[in-house]
Amino acid sequence: MTTATRPAPPRKQGTPAQGLSGGAFAILLVLPGLALLVAVVLYPLISSLVTAFFEQSLVEPGRRFVGLENIRAVLDSDFLPLLRQTLVFTVGTTLVPFVIGFALALALNTRIRGRGFLRGAFLLPWLVPAVVTSFLWMWIFNANYGVANGVLEALGIVDEPEAWLSSPGTAMAAVIIAKTWASFPWMMVMLLAGLQTVPPELHEAAQVDGAGTIRRFRSVTVPHLRGIIGLVLLLELIWNFQHFDTIYVMTGGGPAGTTETFAVAVYDTFYKGHDLGRAGAIGLLWMVLLLVLVVGYLRVVDREEKA
Amino acid sequence: MTTAYSRRRMLQFLGAAGLGAAGLAACAPAPKETEPLAADDPKANEKTFSFASWTLNEEAGKPVVQGLLDTITTKDGLTVNPVSYPYNEYLNQLTLQVRGDKLVGAAQLDIAWLGALAALGKLRDLGDAAKDGGYTSTALESGQYEGKQLGLPWTTGAIGLVTNKELLSRAGITEFPETIEDFEAALVELKGLGGGVVPYAASTKVAQLKDILFWMKTFGCTLLDGDRVTIGDDASVEAVTWYKKLYDQKLIAPDVDRFDARALFGQGRAAIYDDAIVGKGAVIKDSPDKQLADKLDPVARPVLKSGDDPQAQLWGHVIVVVEGEAANTATSFARWLTSDQAATDEFFAKLALPPTTEKGLASDAVANDPFTKAFSERITKTASQNPFWRFPEYAQMETVIAEQVQAVLIGSSSPADAMTTAGEQVQALVK
Repeated sequence: MTTATRPAPPRKQGTPAQGLSGGAFAILLVLPGLALLVAVVLYPLISSLVTAFFEQSLVEPGRRFVGLENIRAVLDSDFLPLLRQTLVFTVGTTLVPFVIGFALALALNTRIRGRGFLRGAFLLPWLVPAVVTSFLWMWIFNANYGVANGVLEALGIVDEPEAWLSSPGTAMAAVIIAKTWASFPWMMVMLLAGLQTVPPELHEAAQVDGAGTIRRFRSVTVPHLRGIIGLVLLLELIWNFQHFDTIYVMTGGGPAGTTETFAVAVYDTFYKGHDLGRAGAIGLLWMVLLLVLVVGYLRVVDREEKA
Repeated sequence: MTTAYSRRRMLQFLGAAGLGAAGLAACAPAPKETEPLAADDPKANEKTFSFASWTLNEEAGKPVVQGLLDTITTKDGLTVNPVSYPYNEYLNQLTLQVRGDKLVGAAQLDIAWLGALAALGKLRDLGDAAKDGGYTSTALESGQYEGKQLGLPWTTGAIGLVTNKELLSRAGITEFPETIEDFEAALVELKGLGGGVVPYAASTKVAQLKDILFWMKTFGCTLLDGDRVTIGDDASVEAVTWYKKLYDQKLIAPDVDRFDARALFGQGRAAIYDDAIVGKGAVIKDSPDKQLADKLDPVARPVLKSGDDPQAQLWGHVIVVVEGEAANTATSFARWLTSDQAATDEFFAKLALPPTTEKGLASDAVANDPFTKAFSERITKTASQNPFWRFPEYAQMETVIAEQVQAVLIGSSSPADAMTTAGEQVQALVK
């Protein structure tokens, strides 16, 4: 008698766990991350936005549904000044460090002496925590004992101390300078990385064709870096649109609200005004505007991936 | 077999999760008042609790308060978890902690904040604990809200003007001016000293611009008449116009809050500033002038007309207890901290903060301290409460007024317009 050995049934391909379809298994894998996302991001976010439709105080129990009243109130009063100030801060703190970062990236992409040391040294401002940077600049610009006034007086540029952070004309500029100091290294590093991917043959070929430095920069370097420039600018715009630390520490949104952005306004309305409904309404409008930037960013990423 | 998930499918998935979260968020209960535990409930007698204090965040006061916590820990076998935030952030953080039932135990509170925290409905009535504590009636009043004793008084005083005698004398000012007119003339003399001396380091940052309320009172504004806000009247406009004049003439400086003022005063770069008695310790500790303590002189705030009562704002700290777990233990702790003779003596000896008990005030150390004596006689004697303290929205009111005054200082609004706006906005907050 011979015993025929039954071949083992072929193992199903693509089914990682017994009894589960591929789709169900994928969902199972996603669930812990999704639960965390809902608990840590979505629930607090939506909970804050829901308050936009209620009259609710931080210091009193209870709340009352008021529909769109809070949003209408914000649109009728604070919205335009907040939008203008947020845009000035966002554009200023994106473009100024971009120009500085790009110039330094170009310089450090050449064979200058001490290139390695300089690359490290220029990164230092970026490594300092934002709050520390903000305090540092607040002291520099302090009207009564700040270094800026000390230097300018010693050089005879000003006769009396300037109130940099207490004058509407200079407070926003001071804040932008502080944020620029903290931001330019990151932009410099990203652009430097991009510059190093530009094939030297392209420059050589253009040089042979008689292109000068500026022409090569315009026709070779910039087109090659278009993707990275777009990403860097969009990411900075998004971050600066949400930025809080520098303004809050240096001016608290003052003087008289002239440096107040959406981020600071939400904080002030919530904590100082104790008006949760209005804070939620400002947050809701702020998020809608932010979504426009995020959609722009996703499109750029998508285009880059396809390219 | 592989399953491909499109971005659309993923977004649908996230949208469903978002809807779920929205439903939960909309149904989330708003905070409610806390019911007191029964006196014999073992939970109320838990030995572990938290003590929130901004002094624990300040260099000068931290070792003293920590020392007192260590003493009670050893003495009664308690475990006290210290919680601290900077003064300017303290009320916000404490409100969130109490509102969310995250603080079990006791907390230090500025008497100005009692109304705001009491509105949450979570503070214990400490009337029984206060009964035989030996507190003065003025001190006890500082911890009362709507007829309840919600705080046990830890220290009571006032906010008034502190001067540097040496700088005043160098400017030829031998007697501190009694009227506003003479005060202004004295500031001009002090400005003449040069060397970057700020004649009067008055608050000009929003955080402490509330100090101007007592200049408004000096000019005759009552701030509140019943439930009607009087800011916006002629007296308040005159006060702010005068403040702006000092600012424009650089007799007061921009960018100054209490901490900047202390720093300038400690460095000998400010001749006069506003502070409570607690400021003495901080100013002396950080000053390069080792003789500064002898030069400090508290003075009465100048008045509009000779013979008027000088204005000063009552100031003090109370200890409140959050109802619930460990509330009995925290109450005993609050009572010990505020009325135990050894504890209050140490507090005074190290921080110069006057005690709130009859016995403590009568002790040799307090009664014979020249600075404390002068402060009490010239400033605390005529001090009064800020009438806005009784409203839970006090902090909001203070911010509204401060922002309008700042708008005047930087020239973006006229005193009359700014005070009218401030008055209307504060009136809207009176409920």
